[in-house]
Amino acid sequence: MADDSAQTLTTKPVTGGSTRVLIADDDHVNRLILKAILVKEGYAVEVAENGREAVVKFASWQPDLVLMDIMMPVLDGYEATRQIKEQAGDSFVPVIFLTALSDEAALARCVAVGGDDFLTKPYSRVILKAKIDALERVRRLHVTMRQQRDELAGHQRRLLQEHQVAEKVLAKIVHSGSLDAPQIKYMLSPMAIFNGDMMLAARKPSGGLHALLGDFTGHGLSAAIGTVPVADIFYGMTDKGFSIGDILATINDKLRVILPTDVFFAAVLLELDATHSKLTIWNGGIPDVLIRRTDGQVDALPSDHLPLGVIENDQLDRGVRVVEVEAGDRIFAFSDGFIEARDASGQMFGLERLTAALAGESDADVLFDGLLRTLGDFVGSLSLGDDLSLIEITCDPNWATARSTGVPRAFRPRAPMRWSLAIELIPETLRSVDPLPLVMHLLMDLQGLQEHREQLYAVLMELFSNALDHGLLRLDSSMKQTPDGFVRYYELRKQRLAELDHGRVLLEIEHSPDRVGGLLRFTVEDDGSGFDHARVFAPLQDNVSFFGRGIPLLKSICDRLEYSGSGNHVEAVYRWGRDGATDAPD
Amino acid sequence: MPLTIQRSDDGRVVTITISGRFDFDLHQEFRQAFEHAEEEDARYVIDLAEAEYMDSSALGMLLLLRERAGGDRADISIVNCSPAINKILTISNFHKLFKVA
Repeated sequence: MADDSAQTLTTKPVTGGSTRVLIADDDHVNRLILKAILVKEGYAVEVAENGREAVVKFASWQPDLVLMDIMMPVLDGYEATRQIKEQAGDSFVPVIFLTALSDEAALARCVAVGGDDFLTKPYSRVILKAKIDALERVRRLHVTMRQQRDELAGHQRRLLQEHQVAEKVLAKIVHSGSLDAPQIKYMLSPMAIFNGDMMLAARKPSGGLHALLGDFTGHGLSAAIGTVPVADIFYGMTDKGFSIGDILATINDKLRVILPTDVFFAAVLLELDATHSKLTIWNGGIPDVLIRRTDGQVDALPSDHLPLGVIENDQLDRGVRVVEVEAGDRIFAFSDGFIEARDASGQMFGLERLTAALAGESDADVLFDGLLRTLGDFVGSLSLGDDLSLIEITCDPNWATARSTGVPRAFRPRAPMRWSLAIELIPETLRSVDPLPLVMHLLMDLQGLQEHREQLYAVLMELFSNALDHGLLRLDSSMKQTPDGFVRYYELRKQRLAELDHGRVLLEIEHSPDRVGGLLRFTVEDDGSGFDHARVFAPLQDNVSFFGRGIPLLKSICDRLEYSGSGNHVEAVYRWGRDGATDAPD
Repeated sequence: MPLTIQRSDDGRVVTITISGRFDFDLHQEFRQAFEHAEEEDARYVIDLAEAEYMDSSALGMLLLLRERAGGDRADISIVNCSPAINKILTISNFHKLFKVA
């Protein structure tokens, strides 16, 4: 303990050398007798003739124990003891009063100034030795305890420092996403990471939003450690265009490997599509996620799944709920700490109070603060250390068109090259892989078009899902106009995809340089043979109503968009400029 | 006693009864309750009639027991759950891994 060098007086070695006793007595004979006894018993002895000298010798010689006469010239025993005890600080130096006094008031005063024992004249060698040895044992115990206490305090200081550093590092890794967007309000305790609570949000390349609220079992470092891979996977995969199903499976797989059996991760993952009209949600072990509609109605989306990190991926149920939402709807997700917060009588806040608080407020803009206030009133007062996490996401279609600010400048487009690729997808492939993330990955790798990621993803996604949903699966888009139909649409899609036994989607991408950047030509063709393409193509014209964006979106992004054949062949041209602007002057 | 263990006469059924709070404080005791179990194919019954509360570390303990009792082959019933405890088990969907009654 190098930093304790200033305390040499108080941390003198416990063992080694004989016990040092200072005798303070103005009577020459008394001093001689005591010194003779003690030296014979093996103690090291120094003497002082009055209180003043005792105080001075105490400072210079640093005895382990003091024998103190009361009546002395210059400075009496009481005052000398008081000064010695003050010097000794929190180290224990026993003082034994030597006294012929027997009146209680005098003895009480000895104790009051810090005396530890009395010895009455005439001195008995046996009693003297017994008392010194007994006090010496207490003193040694005291020294050991103090060393341990200092050591413990040192450990605690270091632990706190390490926690603070870890908190900063972890917070940077975990909270680097879109939580600060104006459509999101959240509460997360500064110590949340060490409570195992985490919250993530990130823009999708297509303009939509991914969010996660999760809670690791337990507290402390063991709960915090899992947050890093979760954040890494969430941000990395969202950026590459993967769906929440792929993301949660990857998180589950990772956590199965790194977490001990009794630690798991309750989490809800949700996805808002680009127009904020469709909410896709997977809830494993988090209390009901609530949607507060614009008319005040509150819908609950309960947990359907085991938490992550509990079962192997081959048993993991990736089934999601898909709900229609509209502009102004607010999505609330919260940790169990929120509904389990207790009032003074031990009663829990509960989901019912929470739901009532959301339904009872007509001004949507004050819902979030109102909820916190209601909870605060219930429990008495909220403190920052509480294990409470809450996030509110407002559905805002305008958000989708706002450009992402998170594109690192490290990504620069590569010099335009001439290349092309073609992918043919047959039913078997369509069932087992989502080709978009892979194609996006290729585009980014070949041409470094990170800044165009959102637009390119939106184009590919539109063209591909139109070909699959309407070309091959013959789904009728008008189904999506009612909430019931919306759900039925996705069920039917799943069923038809499973039953699909022929047909294909052909995707071609051709890239060629031009004066300022490059031209990307996307060609998508499906052969939904045996049905009327014209009929399927028709709803595409009023695409806004079913996919929310569709043709108008494609037209706004692409330089050229052309349907041909019976509507099963589409060609879209996207132009990018070397300076990163899509609308570079020709 | 917050935790008691009872074995059926043939040793095939182990009943673990928990009273009061089922949380991290019971970790040691709970582990010991099944760590020395010799019967590989024992059936476990967790009786929560006297339990007032259960937290996520209690759920973790149940997962440990499940692993010890054979993972997917484990036969573990959780019985006499209060509404509050039932809610916690439901949110976590533990009825997919345990028989909850």
